[in-house]
Amino acid sequence: MLPLSLLRTAQNHPMLVELKNGETYNGHLVSCDNWMNINLREVICTSRDGDKFWRMPECYIRGSTIKYLRIPDEVIDMVKEETAVKNRGRDTKGIKSQRGRPATRGNFGGRGGKSGNIGGRNLNQKIKAK
Amino acid sequence: MNRPELEGTAHLLDELDKKLMVVLRDGRTLIGYLRSVDQFANLVLHRTIERIHVGKEYGDIPRGVFIVRGENVVLLGEIDAQKEANLPLTQVSVDDILDAQRREQESKQDQQRLLTKALKERGLNLMPDLTHDDMF
Repeated sequence: MLPLSLLRTAQNHPMLVELKNGETYNGHLVSCDNWMNINLREVICTSRDGDKFWRMPECYIRGSTIKYLRIPDEVIDMVKEETAVKNRGRDTKGIKSQRGRPATRGNFGGRGGKSGNIGGRNLNQKIKAK
Repeated sequence: MNRPELEGTAHLLDELDKKLMVVLRDGRTLIGYLRSVDQFANLVLHRTIERIHVGKEYGDIPRGVFIVRGENVVLLGEIDAQKEANLPLTQVSVDDILDAQRREQESKQDQQRLLTKALKERGLNLMPDLTHDDMF
């Protein structure tokens, strides 16, 4: 689970974003992208010294200005559950492939057709045998 | 090391799920369990505390889950549980350490003001704190 995937999972959750200049933004995450640019809604902005506050309905923050984000504990628990479910799915697939056609691993999810794949595999085996 | 092609290169995958101390560019110290990293050294820290040191005292503030943008990290290192048990430092309450930190900052500012004044009298104009705002 990469940090940015975790951020994506945290969508619709409250979070605190601190910028490099020390300002903090409290709000709910609406959306984010691969550059860590984010949209927040119902935001409270706090100045660096914590003495001034601004409320705004929404704001956009450029990813490069962020120092860190603090997210609720339950988001990480959600991720743990999700990955557990995914792994279970992967396990059953693995068992199937072991039974049916061995070593579909590295075939990028079955792209390119069965026969071509088998031919390629046999070729590889021959090379290994030499 | 489980990846022979990465032999000799510094990487963080070995540190996953270990208890790490992370120092940020603004001087703050975070301690938490490293759950994830990516190619930019963005970090996910779990069960994080912020540790504030003043002299030989320290205080811990619970902070939860952090996603730290990699470029703000100065250093990180594993915490040795045994060595942590007998630190030559004393833990104090959060309120006490925040108080101590404030006093330390104020005395630093006073010192800075004196220095600026003294330099000005000798014809040197020191620009204080201009370096601080552009931490990009």
